[in-house]
Amino acid sequence: MSSEVYGLFFFGLLTVMVGVYLLLGYRNLIRIMLGVEVISKGTTMILLGAGLYQGRPDFIQVLIVTFIIVEAILAAVMLGIVIISHKIHVTLDIRRQSKLKG
Amino acid sequence: MGTILLLLLVFLLVLAMGLARDLLKAAIALALASVFLATILFLHGAWVAAVFELSVCSGLITVLFVSTISLTKDSDQKEEAKLTGYLLPAFLLFFIGVDCLALRWLGPFFLDAKAMVPADTLTGGFSKVFWGDRTTDVLGQAALILSGVFAILSLFKRKAQHHSLEGGKHE
Repeated sequence: MSSEVYGLFFFGLLTVMVGVYLLLGYRNLIRIMLGVEVISKGTTMILLGAGLYQGRPDFIQVLIVTFIIVEAILAAVMLGIVIISHKIHVTLDIRRQSKLKG
Repeated sequence: MGTILLLLLVFLLVLAMGLARDLLKAAIALALASVFLATILFLHGAWVAAVFELSVCSGLITVLFVSTISLTKDSDQKEEAKLTGYLLPAFLLFFIGVDCLALRWLGPFFLDAKAMVPADTLTGGFSKVFWGDRTTDVLGQAALILSGVFAILSLFKRKAQHHSLEGGKHE
């Protein structure tokens, strides 16, 4: 494995772990969404590393484009939910949003 | 070597995003990380993916984040858990250790995976793979875009109905 592919896997995995840490550690809904975006950045790096390792840049490019589209739709819908949630609860702290409690 | 430096830059920007108190600065750091990731994609021949990363991730998504931050600016953004930011460097060392171990453990599987896939499959240019071999993905993307549009429409339509109902009550 070349050093570039190794670097892509290394930093991709590290970025995913930092994203999961941000998801678990923060309470602000926008910061949680930023954590999801960080995870997606790490996943893109891992996908690119896998494509380079296999020697199929075209195939992995298609997968990355698909992934970016999914990421954009996820961000748009989630941020819409954040805005509506803020209008209802007047806070972005997920621990204070208790209206969904059973 | 250039790729490693760019990867390090992306990672440092992600860390700066995690440590930033101001949400706007965090969103801008994420956009910059996307720019450098697009550069990495471009350097490795993934031009279409680089253009998508640059326009969608560092453009559209940043605009969405900035709009959301400005629409919710009066909330308790700066009262975020400070402990999470302070503990991030300590957890980072742990993550690096786990990362090294995982890559060492996964190394033999990578070699097996390379031997499993024949070399002549799924090549022949971006357009051939995108429109020919991965047609189901294109259909899935169209369905996702439509569902996203309908989700946004229904979210903000409900809000408008809610406001009109409240206005009627006050009258």
